[in-house]
Amino acid sequence: MHVMGLDGQYPLLFAIWLAPLVGAIVIWAFGPMLRTWAGPVGCAAIAVSFLATLASWGDAVRQTAEAGTTIVGAHQGLGAWLAGFNLGLLWDPLSLVWTLIITGIGFLIHFYSMGYMAGDRGYARFFAYMNFFVFAMLTLVLSDNFVGLLIGWGLVGLASFFLIGFWYERPSAVAAATKAFVMNVVGDVGIMFAIFIMIAVVGSVGFGDAFAGVAAHKFSPGLLYLACGLLFVGCAAKSAQVPLHSWLPDAMEGPTPVSALIHAATMVTAGVYLIARCWPMWEASPDARALVGAIGGLTALLGAILGVAQWDIKRILAYSTMSQIGYMIMGVGVLADGAGVLHFFAHAWFKAQLFLTAGIIIHALHNEQDVRRMGGLHKRAPFAFWSMTVATLAICGIPPFAGFFSKDAIVYDTLVLGHPVLYAVGAVTAGITAYYMFRMLFVTFFGTYRGDVDPSSLGLRHPELAGTSAGLVAHTHDDEPAEEHPPAWLMSAPVAVLWVGSIFAGFLIVGGTNSPWYKLLAPVFRPALIFPEGNAPFSEAVSTAIVLLLVLAGIGVAYWRYGNAAALRDAVERLRQESVRMPPVLANLFYFDVAIDALFVRPAKALGFLFGQIFDPLVIDGTVREARVSAVWLGHLFRSFQTGMVRAYALTIVFGATAFIIYYAVVAAR
Amino acid sequence: MPVPLINYIALSALIFMIGATGVVARRNPLVMLMGIELMWNAANLAFIAYARAYLNNAGHIFAFLVITVAAAEAAIGLAVVVALFRRSEIVDVDDVAILKG
Repeated sequence: MHVMGLDGQYPLLFAIWLAPLVGAIVIWAFGPMLRTWAGPVGCAAIAVSFLATLASWGDAVRQTAEAGTTIVGAHQGLGAWLAGFNLGLLWDPLSLVWTLIITGIGFLIHFYSMGYMAGDRGYARFFAYMNFFVFAMLTLVLSDNFVGLLIGWGLVGLASFFLIGFWYERPSAVAAATKAFVMNVVGDVGIMFAIFIMIAVVGSVGFGDAFAGVAAHKFSPGLLYLACGLLFVGCAAKSAQVPLHSWLPDAMEGPTPVSALIHAATMVTAGVYLIARCWPMWEASPDARALVGAIGGLTALLGAILGVAQWDIKRILAYSTMSQIGYMIMGVGVLADGAGVLHFFAHAWFKAQLFLTAGIIIHALHNEQDVRRMGGLHKRAPFAFWSMTVATLAICGIPPFAGFFSKDAIVYDTLVLGHPVLYAVGAVTAGITAYYMFRMLFVTFFGTYRGDVDPSSLGLRHPELAGTSAGLVAHTHDDEPAEEHPPAWLMSAPVAVLWVGSIFAGFLIVGGTNSPWYKLLAPVFRPALIFPEGNAPFSEAVSTAIVLLLVLAGIGVAYWRYGNAAALRDAVERLRQESVRMPPVLANLFYFDVAIDALFVRPAKALGFLFGQIFDPLVIDGTVREARVSAVWLGHLFRSFQTGMVRAYALTIVFGATAFIIYYAVVAAR
Repeated sequence: MPVPLINYIALSALIFMIGATGVVARRNPLVMLMGIELMWNAANLAFIAYARAYLNNAGHIFAFLVITVAAAEAAIGLAVVVALFRRSEIVDVDDVAILKG
């Protein structure tokens, strides 16, 4: 592997990488003894990792070299573990960006969890899983080869299984966890086959060797497209791209900090990382760019449309994540890597803020998640209101908040790179995003509180099933003595920190080639990937104006439907009407689950039925049964020879002997 | 004038058939044993005749072996007959069919 810089000796990477694992093992082993100290221990493990990341910052960005075939930055070998393939850790600006978010935002989420999860019976178990999750994601982004990446990829899926199914008494949580795990394994298999192609073509699993092979034209276009496509299967599964997205909304069954961790810091951005990391492959394959760009755009649009139809506050945010990840995938897929990665960076802040704020509301309302039963919360929870407002402005792309710069850059870059359809999709999606986010904001915080209104008058068909099944969860909080209730600042302080990023993260890219973002990522990407060059029909200012107009239109429609005085006065009746009149296609989430069920689950079950109920009893068991029957039949046949009459035996012998004599006398004598 | 070989073989075959007929046709175990003895001796006669005709001592040796085995067979056979008779006073082998399948 061509590595510039600190090859072989970089022990600090181990601190970044393994501190969360140590934390997980300690909490797992000593959880019952640690009791409430499990939270601080878990936070400390992530803090160590984060501080080591900050300390290593300089080494990640120090090296500059021709990007592409050469991996720059620090490298730590781990030895040849598998059949002579060298595994190692890689520390370059791209790893740095992800590690900063994983450990930094991850730390804030851990800190918040100390408040949110206080009193839960699985408090220590929760932090062990969370630390393990961070470790798995770090394995993914720190690996310098596809095998290490796949190991991290699989561990992330496993950790998400643990955490989504954290409240394992709830059948829906277990089902969601299983769904997430199975869909992720589909992606793992895709990446595995991509690795097989790498080994067959370049004989190595290292990123550097693979990209050098791409640069040397060792891949035929079709094979490269196949490799990119297989990698993208993994990305689609992990990053919730159509059609493998349906696990993501269901993953809301996990505790809210888990949702924040999955959506902001870890897991779903892994696909963005992989495509950004493998940009030389995408650069060499226009077909792969078209595929990934189209899927990303489709996901952005579908996620936004589905976000319009949700009532569960966490599901609204889940679909917004799906939509925003669609933006990122679209960006890195069409080689707008600088913008795509920036959107990841900015999104991590405001999405964590959205989820953690939603968690504060859910916590305050005793596990109520249905926005129809909220309302008027801006007076009861002013901090949550302002926090949610800032994050909403950020995700909608209102200047000067973070989402404005990153999303605007992605949308305009698609146009520059010659994808006008993706541009239109991106712009329209921005408008829909503004609509559903402000819909949530208005319904949740404005008007009057509706939690004491009869649920059926709000259009909730099964009040006991709306939101979380409060009865099962509540006891984990309510059974505990009152003094266990944590101070409010445990949950509000991390959110306050996130405000900084939600407001200012976008400014990183301001200033063109002098921007900090450009200087940071220039060693990884070529300049054209950070600021694409091409012929756009109109300038970026016009594009920004178009997108902003659509965003304002979305906000306006949301205000007209949910925010104005008349709408707020008749909120109960209006929400009931909307619930009842929800189009079936939206209520059924575009029938993706139905289609997957019909295309894969039912055939698999039918196959199982075929083998279990038909092939096995009739063919396999049938063979055994027939063998028994013929043995019995043969036994009867031979029994009949055993007459028990000595003279009959003697006569048989005589006949036999006679036959022999005749044979030798007549036949053999010739 | 020496007796031709064919005469010995014919006599041997005749005695063997008599013995075989006795085993198959008679139901008294003692008579059947006698039939078996006749078959042994028919075989012995053939062995000796061939050995004499072809001047090969293997036939003689085999005849001694047959005499030995025949003696053992007679001892066992008579013991079986006596045991059967003591058990159920059977004098007809067709009644001894306890091994019928």
